[in-house]
Amino acid sequence: MQPITYERPETVEAAVRALGRPETLFVAGGTTVFDLMKVNVLKASHLVDVTRLRDPRLSAIEVSDTAIRLGALVRMADLAAHPGIRAICPLIPLSLDLGASEQIRNMARLGGNVLQRTRCAYFRDTSFEACNKRNPGSGCAALDGHNRQHAILGTSTACIAIYPGDFPQVLAAVDAQVEIAGRQGKPRTIPFTDLHRLPGETPDVETVLKRDELITGFLIPRGPWLRRSLYLKIRDRQSYAFALASAAVALDLAPDGTVREARVGLGGVATVPWRAREAEAALKGNALTEAIAHRAAEAAFAGAVTRSHNHYKIPLGKQTLVRALLGAAAMEV
Amino acid sequence: MSGHETALRELPLIGRGHARYDGRAKVTGRAQFAADVVVADPIHAFLLLSTIPRGRIDRIKTDRALVLPGVIDILTHENAPALAAPVSQAAGSATNHQPLIDPDIVFDGQVIGVVLAENFETAREAAALVDIHYVKQPAAVTLDSPGAVTERWSEINQNFEDLEVGDAEKALAEAPVTIDATYHMQSQVHNAMEPFPTTVLWDGDDLIVHEPSQYVVGLQRGVARQLGIDPSRVRIISPYIGGGFGSKLSLTPRTAILAALARKHRRPVKLVATRSQGFTLSTYRGESRHRIRLGATPDGKLTAFAHEAWEMCSRFGAYASASTDLTADMYAAPSILTRVNIVRTDRTTPGFMRGPGEMPYMFALETAMDELAYRLEMDPVELRRLNEPARSPIDGSRFTSRSLVKCFDEAAERFGWRNRNPVPGANRDGDWLVGYGCAAATFPCFNYGGSATVTLLRSGRARVETAASEIGTGAYTALGQVAAELLDLPIENVEVLLGDSLLPPTAPAGGSMQTASTVPAIRLACERIVSRLGNRMPALADLGAAFDRLGTLSIQETAQYAAFDGKNANGGRAVLSTPDGDEPIAIASYGAQFVEVRINARTKELRVPRLVGAFAAGRILNERMALAQYRGGMVWGLSSALFEGLAIDPIQSRVTNTNFEEYAIPVNADVQMVEAILVPEEDHEVNPLGVKGIGEIGIVGVAAAVSNAIFHATGKRLRDLPITLDKLF
Amino acid sequence: MPGDPNLPNPHRRNFLRGSAGVAIAPFAVRAARAEIPALDASEDARALTAVGMTVNGQRRRLSVDARTSLLDALRDQAGLTGAKKGCDQGQCGACTVHVDRRRILSCLMFAVASDGADITTIEGLAGEDGALHPMQASFIDQDAFQCGFCTPGQILSAVACVKEGHAETEADIREYMSGNLCRCAAYPNIVAAIRQAKPLMEG
Repeated sequence: MQPITYERPETVEAAVRALGRPETLFVAGGTTVFDLMKVNVLKASHLVDVTRLRDPRLSAIEVSDTAIRLGALVRMADLAAHPGIRAICPLIPLSLDLGASEQIRNMARLGGNVLQRTRCAYFRDTSFEACNKRNPGSGCAALDGHNRQHAILGTSTACIAIYPGDFPQVLAAVDAQVEIAGRQGKPRTIPFTDLHRLPGETPDVETVLKRDELITGFLIPRGPWLRRSLYLKIRDRQSYAFALASAAVALDLAPDGTVREARVGLGGVATVPWRAREAEAALKGNALTEAIAHRAAEAAFAGAVTRSHNHYKIPLGKQTLVRALLGAAAMEV
Repeated sequence: MSGHETALRELPLIGRGHARYDGRAKVTGRAQFAADVVVADPIHAFLLLSTIPRGRIDRIKTDRALVLPGVIDILTHENAPALAAPVSQAAGSATNHQPLIDPDIVFDGQVIGVVLAENFETAREAAALVDIHYVKQPAAVTLDSPGAVTERWSEINQNFEDLEVGDAEKALAEAPVTIDATYHMQSQVHNAMEPFPTTVLWDGDDLIVHEPSQYVVGLQRGVARQLGIDPSRVRIISPYIGGGFGSKLSLTPRTAILAALARKHRRPVKLVATRSQGFTLSTYRGESRHRIRLGATPDGKLTAFAHEAWEMCSRFGAYASASTDLTADMYAAPSILTRVNIVRTDRTTPGFMRGPGEMPYMFALETAMDELAYRLEMDPVELRRLNEPARSPIDGSRFTSRSLVKCFDEAAERFGWRNRNPVPGANRDGDWLVGYGCAAATFPCFNYGGSATVTLLRSGRARVETAASEIGTGAYTALGQVAAELLDLPIENVEVLLGDSLLPPTAPAGGSMQTASTVPAIRLACERIVSRLGNRMPALADLGAAFDRLGTLSIQETAQYAAFDGKNANGGRAVLSTPDGDEPIAIASYGAQFVEVRINARTKELRVPRLVGAFAAGRILNERMALAQYRGGMVWGLSSALFEGLAIDPIQSRVTNTNFEEYAIPVNADVQMVEAILVPEEDHEVNPLGVKGIGEIGIVGVAAAVSNAIFHATGKRLRDLPITLDKLF
Repeated sequence: MPGDPNLPNPHRRNFLRGSAGVAIAPFAVRAARAEIPALDASEDARALTAVGMTVNGQRRRLSVDARTSLLDALRDQAGLTGAKKGCDQGQCGACTVHVDRRRILSCLMFAVASDGADITTIEGLAGEDGALHPMQASFIDQDAFQCGFCTPGQILSAVACVKEGHAETEADIREYMSGNLCRCAAYPNIVAAIRQAKPLMEG
């Protein structure tokens, strides 16, 4: 880890201005920055600590009739513990509680959480030479390496690194928007599903953020599906482990059980927070039976591409989604 | 030498569960682990490890690193001081590789350099700037890799013989019922919470080493030998060890190298190796494969037992856990055929890890026994009862005590085994498939004897001193408790000094033998103290008068215990001297493990809500410490079954999961009910206190019980550890 | 003892043992002195930065490299070695301390970022009179540790777990204590200790 300088601006303007310096990184909780800097995966010579920016909305959880707004500096633990959110959208605290540990949830902020880096072993260990994400053009060691954890959706021949995390899959599912501040002009807002880029030929470019842009918040439109929502995470350990497969589902059911609206996000299986619109289409207008749930799961994984050690993720991913859908349908709301 | 035995009270079969002697130090953060020691003006070291499995260093350039402000020195094979080769102080566990003597790379994660700097941050930064070019060669890193070479262990190790009792091949060919199955487990690494820190400093010609060690006397001698100095010039200080499990039993190459650097620079040197580096700095449990063949009559009597094992080894070392004697001693098979092979690969040498061979060898045997029970449509517990041997099936040795059946009965009762529906796949609770499984546990007794000093003061305070190690087993507590009880003192009156090579030497904290080897010496010392007090320990209130009569303020006795007249007990065998001549005896602890697994019918994740084990290991000195060892061991067994295994990259022949995230060990949520039952057992022959080992048996058998329970839940027989959910699809 | 101890391949596990050394090497340990040049954040990346914090109720001023973790600052500069370095990657919990009344991983926190923070380490948990915190006492009572290396982190995590309201059920405790690995696997005892300490902390 090279020497660094450090600054702690007080305004968003000052923060994004600071990113004009070369080799500069934002840091908030540090939980997906400091670890990687120690092992020379992330290299920076200047850190801009954004945790003490004065804008109170950055740390606010705001609920209106039409939307939930989450400031980018809200701690994971605080959002998980927010009683209002739990009542409106149980999916959100569920996904947070199942992620990381309470210590990390106390440190990590939502803005950093959605930008967390892959857990691909070949990315996180510089002694492996080939990693297109870390070292563009060097190849992908995971393609024929040990790839039990790796992605089966959204992959390319350049990268199969999994997108980790749980909460971002929820944001992808529930039509969240991301608010972004930059040096030029007014803040912009984009759909969360547009924030992350598929690896394609440039897996090193993970998001559409410009290098001097800062996420300031998330906007989740309120819909009747948020109440009937759950997050199911399957992993080797019972806790403190990344997903092998996960499903974020939110359903609006008619009194006769017909699916009026469905929102489906998938984790542990894809290179980005994954929105399974094909599954949603398979559900819409149908009664949520076991057969329909399976049809949705088939649709969600129709495009899956596996490698030597991760074939199991297709049946696992499907069953995870089926279980989540049936579980959500059975919820009392 | 024990003419005054009657002067001492008999200890209870299960000793009172006094709280930990070192409890307060450990809950307040005052317990000083090696990396906590403050030394003046230390140099910080950072290790460079190889990143290829085989080849050589073509070029190593340190100039960019050396010019950093604060960098003091960078050691590579081009400028390393000459040291004698490390000889493992615990012979047989071979971290005998000597790094930095040539450019050759013989395993991934080999020490190829040491960076010294004024602070940790600079040392780490400089390490990343050392430019290394390798010439790579193809490597074999698994049992099945091209280029891996199988050798028969008995041809390498003159002291080892494979077993051949009767004609097992013929018996197998003729047996009405046979099982022939192969079992496999991936390599595992100890991963104690404390990695591998070392701080060394010289005081003139004397070397002080702060390093966690399960065997301070061995480390002392090993380092002295490498440096070419007298062992009396080396002092190892290791009062607390942040977990060992075998990883801190053997000399590793780092210590002497750091000592040489400290001597060169005339300053203390401090190393705190990283978690990732710890995966290759010491030993590990190597990958192994086992073929078990069982022959039986239709009513379940074994007619033949055959066990062939293949254990991973390095090219340069020679280690095998070779536990076929253990499995052959389990059941009354009239014919036995065993063979142990090592498979030479481009890896570092494996070594002792909690239940080194007992865990994998018994995983294989006890899964095979379950397969046989299902084949015979017989209760697995009954199958074991039916084949309980009266004497060792190998050589007819007498078991001094063997409570296997009793352990099965007690654990089965507590577990509720009787109520199980034996049909595989028939037990369901909602979306969860439920399975019950059981397996036997065993661990052989070792005893190398030991020595200790006990001092009794006129005030009624006492002190026990011995070079034993506290690795979490409760050594301070158990050893102090023995002295307190024998001297009839409140336990608070006894001070215990451990973990220092200046203290009287004793057996290592390995092989579950330290307590059994050391307490007889403590007993002997107490006996002599009492003998000086007139063969009867006075009441505390009368102690002053008794000392006054002797005209002294303190009585100090150092005693040495020589197990089996100095012939020791090794791997479950010893020789008793009797009036009729020498009698070979079989000495081991036994236990039974019962497990409930739950598997989600859809997503296959696997949870273990209940573990019940019963163990008989002779006299228990402290009930609380024993339960902790057993239960901790059982969770290790669970971990070996479900989580642990090195992930090998097949193309690059390297380990990819050298961290706590991907080398998973259980978290709190993975462990629900873990119950250990202490089965009382009296054994007057194993040693004067009848103490067997308790540190390792808890892990043994759990993996088989888990795999057997998975079969019961699903009808799917899984013979490859760890059993992760992908194997259930 | 059978066989040549230098032979690496004994039939069974043999351990070379020998007699203890007799010379008493003087044990020279002097406390490291923390130098505290007062420096502001500098453009020179190798310069040290002065940070002020409250640690266990006492105001401290440390000068740190911006790369230094709070864990290393506490251990090497403040002389508080109770927090342990188990992985330095946020994967084990041994470095858990409280910052502004929340449990956090000190290995993932830049020391410079803790400027102005109120920090509690294991050394600050017991009363000034040495009376153990109920959680510490319960850990002893329930034998909630073996080697003790993860214990300071477990205890600080456990205290926070109770204060957060995450210790209502055993299942909750297990889940919310899962960020603290214990290789000795004293987990059931840790759960029992928290259950014992909870009413004492609240009462």
